[in-house]
Amino acid sequence: MKKLLLTALLSTLSAASATTLVFGGNGEPVSLESGNITDGISILVQRQIYDTLVDFKAGSTDLAPGLATSWKPNANNTSWTFTLRKNVRFHDGTAMNADAIVFNLSRWWDKAHPYGFRDQGRTFEIMGELLGGYKGDATAVIKNIVKVNDTTVRIDLNKPSSVLPNVLAAGYFGIASPAAIKKEGAKYGTPASKPVGTGPFIFQSWRTGDRVTLLPNKLYWGSKAKVDQLIIRSIKDASQRLNELKAGTIDFANDLTPDSLKSVQADKNLLAVKRPSFNVGFVSMNNRNQYLKNQQVRQAISMAINKKAIVDAFWNGLGVSNASFVPPVLEWANSSKVPADYKFDPAAAKKMLAEAGYPNGFSIDLWYMPVSRPYFPTPKPIAEAIAADLSAIGVKVNLKTEDWAKYLEDRNKEPGFDMYMIGWTGDYGDPDNFYGAYYGSNASDDINWNPANVETLLQQGRAAATQDAKAKIYGQLHELTYNAAYRVPVVHSQPLAAARTYVKGWVPSPLGSEPFNTITVTGKK
Amino acid sequence: MGSYLIRRIFRTLLVMLGISLVVFVFVRSIPGDPALAMLGERATPEAAAALREQLGLNKPWFFNPANPLDAQYPKYMSALLQGDLGSGIKSNIPVRDDLKARFPATAELSVAALLFALVVGMPAGILAALRRNSIWDNLATTVSLIGVSMPVFWLGLLLSYFFAVKLGWLPPSARLSSSVNIEPITGFYVLDGLLRGQPAAAWDAARHLVLPAIALGTIPLAIIARITRSSMLDVLGQDYVRTARAKGLSGRSVVLKHTLRNALLPVVTVIGLQAGALLGGAVLTETIFSWPGIGSWVYDAISQRDYPIIQGGVIFAALVVSVANLLVDLSYAALDPRIQYS
Repeated sequence: MKKLLLTALLSTLSAASATTLVFGGNGEPVSLESGNITDGISILVQRQIYDTLVDFKAGSTDLAPGLATSWKPNANNTSWTFTLRKNVRFHDGTAMNADAIVFNLSRWWDKAHPYGFRDQGRTFEIMGELLGGYKGDATAVIKNIVKVNDTTVRIDLNKPSSVLPNVLAAGYFGIASPAAIKKEGAKYGTPASKPVGTGPFIFQSWRTGDRVTLLPNKLYWGSKAKVDQLIIRSIKDASQRLNELKAGTIDFANDLTPDSLKSVQADKNLLAVKRPSFNVGFVSMNNRNQYLKNQQVRQAISMAINKKAIVDAFWNGLGVSNASFVPPVLEWANSSKVPADYKFDPAAAKKMLAEAGYPNGFSIDLWYMPVSRPYFPTPKPIAEAIAADLSAIGVKVNLKTEDWAKYLEDRNKEPGFDMYMIGWTGDYGDPDNFYGAYYGSNASDDINWNPANVETLLQQGRAAATQDAKAKIYGQLHELTYNAAYRVPVVHSQPLAAARTYVKGWVPSPLGSEPFNTITVTGKK
Repeated sequence: MGSYLIRRIFRTLLVMLGISLVVFVFVRSIPGDPALAMLGERATPEAAAALREQLGLNKPWFFNPANPLDAQYPKYMSALLQGDLGSGIKSNIPVRDDLKARFPATAELSVAALLFALVVGMPAGILAALRRNSIWDNLATTVSLIGVSMPVFWLGLLLSYFFAVKLGWLPPSARLSSSVNIEPITGFYVLDGLLRGQPAAAWDAARHLVLPAIALGTIPLAIIARITRSSMLDVLGQDYVRTARAKGLSGRSVVLKHTLRNALLPVVTVIGLQAGALLGGAVLTETIFSWPGIGSWVYDAISQRDYPIIQGGVIFAALVVSVANLLVDLSYAALDPRIQYS
């Protein structure tokens, strides 16, 4: 009965003049448990409820204080000490302290943790992915997690890492209330539970398949939310997100298709919002193919693809072409000795192909994914455009595709694909997050190319302490990979977002999600 | 009748068992697995292998020589017999919870779509049959042809754009407006709104139901109109109708008393068959209209290879279709005295 009254009260409240901010998400969260989930909309909702140990500056990949106010490495980057913010409480009133931080980190890292619920299907795979494995693994970055005192936590490492704070700032690693996890048990994070963090919004309800409703955290340590209610709706279809925006039933939305740009700009009630790019869509060439193992052939193909024309045609200009493998915000990691990437020059490409011994070209497979990804929203027509560019220099392309899950598997199965389209969206602002994903021993073996000097540079990059030192190392890596020309960066896309004109103070992060506590909605009808 | 029912129920259970086995093998035979789908671009062979091990996907399907019960199907079945359908691989949400939360949404939408199809389709079919080869007949035939060949997602987007964005008459998608809340009783929001004494909320739910019901109901509407027409024509040509007319009965009473009931038998069959089709059509309709039902949920689970959800969803859908067909068969007996179950 009490619940009913409360609901009735809340619905009358929201019907009155309370300001509700409504976001159109591209689906429903999979789970609201931190550390166990990697899909965009789950992370976006979690960003509202949880804080991370380290945070990012608004609209940037630079670090800012989060639940830790400062962090320091030891002399050789093999141990990091985090000093925690004082007097912060979880939404359930329990204290955020070193015990809580150690509890969260250990759940993810220690397979034997009593509250990791691994026997009930928890996997925390992103921890292993970004930090080399779990407690006791030979490859794991973290050796130990130690509470020094109530406001200090130390993380000891098996190998030097300068990026540990960046990794822990990623949206996957929200800090949850240990009391709530102990109370809810294995159902923590599902709609039948109440996820509890320290973030700017408090979880109120999750209506399956439909919406998550959040209320402002009046005791937030940072900038307090400026609306009375935040609703995050699940709207899977991109055209429908645009329809809802136009109808005014939602206030702002992410992930509109690039071809919606004109429609958004033509609507006086809407503003197009460009998220800074933090991804790369590229074409990979496989060393196992008899033609592609020739460096000149790969360079010729790199020069034959008219990237700018492709980006203009399929992204409506919402993308950066002719850039290197890392996105524009990490440009400092590029070398000044080589161009960012090969310029479009079909004549030179044809000449180089002749020099390589193929004046009449050859025939090759190009695989494209069957699903829309942030970096390739429409893979098939893009593949067709690439095929047309290559046929201009005499390379005949057979286009191929298959189911997405199978595609991901087959690219790494001997002999792999000849050429295929794939991409990457970054987790945190460090070049290793891009290069390390597709080069070196931890990466996919899709091109059969892993020379020792690349591996060495990657190791050095992870251990380098300053940005200047990193810039030198990744500059060399840029030169090496540019000359080898195994991967052609086609685009760093800027996912299109849009908002009603009364939505103010939204600063989209390149990392794909940000807390909405800065947003005001004055003048909303 | 009673023994017939028991036999039918027993047979349905056997079908469920068969389906559970088929879908179990089928989902695992699709290339690509949950580990790959979960890791996406991060799927290196090592990462995928480690994840498979954690998820128990590397265990044998039916028989583990080392430990006979430590295999996937025996584990699944022993849980299923206790009413436990497992949990979503990534979400950890019990499949049962999801079904409970989502099925009412799909049911409400399907019922609304079927009502729309019957209310428009039957009169159109009757009219077309009575005015054979007239402009009405040609119009009904043409419209139903268009209806059958219209892709649901395209129609859905078109309806949404036209009635919601352009005209602003109806909401573009979802089940309720952001400002409206209904505590479910039956899970049918229109009904729950009335039961809770919130007429405004019920009205809001009804307005949200209109466009998706039209989108989902268009194909069944066309089919029902065509079946009604041909079955009416068939009955109108029967001897007993001619006799009735010869006795001097008015056209109206011939149609109402002698023809309709007999002509509607095939329509009832179609309704039964449509139960499955509606569940299938719900996949696209729900995706387009952000409708939180089971169609879009199972569809997503297939692309994610979320085995427990696909299995639970398919078994449940099979149950729904079986029950619908049982009801159709029983209503047959009520409509046609020549049919008796014993």
